[in-house]
Amino acid sequence: MQPPTNIRSNGTRNWVAALVVLTLAHPVASHGATADADRLTVLEKKLDQSLQMIRDLSARVHELEAQVAQQGTQPGRGSGEVPNYAPPAVAKADTTQRLEAVEQTVTQLTAGAAQRAEDPGLPLHGFADVGVGNHNATFPEYKLADVGSLDFFLTPRLGAHTRALFELNFEVGDDGSVDVDLERAQIGYQFADSATIWLGRFHTPYGYYNTAFHHGQQIATSLRRPRFLQFEDQGGVLPAHTVGAWLTGSKRAGDQRVTYDLYVGNSQRITDGTLDMNNPGNTHGTTIVGGNLGLLLGGALDGLKVGVHAFTTRIEDQDRVPFILARVRAYGAYAAYDTDRWEHIAELYFFDDYNLSGQPGTHRSEAGFAQFGYRAGSFTPYARYERAALQQGDNFFAAQTLGSSYFREALGVRFDVDLKSALKLELAHTHDGDRDFATYDEALLQYAIRF
Amino acid sequence: MLGRSLTVVLALLPAAIGVLAHGADLYVICNPGVSISKADIRDVFLGDKQFAASVKLTPVDNIAAQALFLERVLKMGAAKYSIAWTKKSFREGVNPPPLEGSDAETLAYVRRTPGACSYITMVDTSGVVVVSRY
Repeated sequence: MQPPTNIRSNGTRNWVAALVVLTLAHPVASHGATADADRLTVLEKKLDQSLQMIRDLSARVHELEAQVAQQGTQPGRGSGEVPNYAPPAVAKADTTQRLEAVEQTVTQLTAGAAQRAEDPGLPLHGFADVGVGNHNATFPEYKLADVGSLDFFLTPRLGAHTRALFELNFEVGDDGSVDVDLERAQIGYQFADSATIWLGRFHTPYGYYNTAFHHGQQIATSLRRPRFLQFEDQGGVLPAHTVGAWLTGSKRAGDQRVTYDLYVGNSQRITDGTLDMNNPGNTHGTTIVGGNLGLLLGGALDGLKVGVHAFTTRIEDQDRVPFILARVRAYGAYAAYDTDRWEHIAELYFFDDYNLSGQPGTHRSEAGFAQFGYRAGSFTPYARYERAALQQGDNFFAAQTLGSSYFREALGVRFDVDLKSALKLELAHTHDGDRDFATYDEALLQYAIRF
Repeated sequence: MLGRSLTVVLALLPAAIGVLAHGADLYVICNPGVSISKADIRDVFLGDKQFAASVKLTPVDNIAAQALFLERVLKMGAAKYSIAWTKKSFREGVNPPPLEGSDAETLAYVRRTPGACSYITMVDTSGVVVVSRY
């Protein structure tokens, strides 16, 4: 007759083993469908390691059972004919505790193996979005369905101090062709939390929106950027990218955190009515110089960031002879409030530009937007007002295709389909000033994902 | 008989583990070469603090205890944690913490990796420094 303790132990061992096999079998089956050779190899290796550990743990269970049985059959503990298998209370408690620890370890191990197998281990990420509407969200002359962009960014794991960030973006231009942009190509050295120096092409750190969201449409609440902050080749009037050097960092001060950015790079030019960041360098060696100082508040104002920014650059319009030049001096302030419940963003830009050719003089222009969002579960309704009053006597704005004044009112709602995808609906009213005085209304739908 | 018992055990196991895990203590641990305070933990696991003196920090997530860590220490859900790291990666090129699958694996990783910090529910904390207990 099998002793009761052994029956219990065998039962425990059996269901532990069955649980392990069932749990391990699940990810194996799932990954068999992926047909991804690399991931399968990694998974197999992890499973082999897991199985080895399980074998070791099973051996330990056997060992513990043997100890229990041995204690139970020691002479003098029972009546002589019928063994007394009840171990001493302390030993039993110890064995139970050990078995529970083994079970917990096995459970964690198998659960971890299943989840980690889903981690590709490759720091490649990206965003994509598509849309439909009575106008194209970027090029209003088009209607119906459109492809937004497909954006990949890579953050290779390098040494302790060296960092790198590369971003490749595929987007459809106003002529319908698919353009490929090396959005960012920056390699940096991190001295400490308070100082990283980047070299290469980066998102120009003015204001908040340009670096916070840029092509990451899925992480932005609204369906599109404010028009004056659009990318250079999509009608934006500011240099969204800079090729040069960027010193950035942050420092905690109690509950608050101070952030800063200082940058210097190639000054931009205007070609075909569009700002160009001069990727290879510029012909006259002129530069853009700027900075951004921010404060992340804590305590009752946790989630609020306020800051100021400024830059100056000399712009050439290479389509005209002699070049039309302008000295651009931009400065402004911003505030962003981002909590579990609210997302509000407001930015102001002022321009005191000076014409260096043609009609001389200083021209004052302004642009800004305010956006308010309320997070209600999966839904985030939002409202935005944006306005740009751009002087057409300013060579900088006059030379740009979309360098005219405008205002736009928008109401929208974002619906989080799941953690990595969102549907956005926006109704907008836009009025162009200065040049064509066009007014149009839009109803836009966008499906945006991240991966 | 065994099959029915197995079914019952399998059905009850997740709930039991959840109850056990919820009641367990959580230890935030680091490699002995790391010196950080309890106040630094949030910044370390959200990528805002990447150095402790000259030591490059390597935060590691422990899948087995992550839910407990997010609830008790960072006070945020898994979705918010994921989005926070997506934004951090996109904006600053910082990679999210790598994953370990169990307390034992996490402990072993932290012991052998300079700059590593993580969290476990097991009492054995030999070979690491305990930054805080929750």
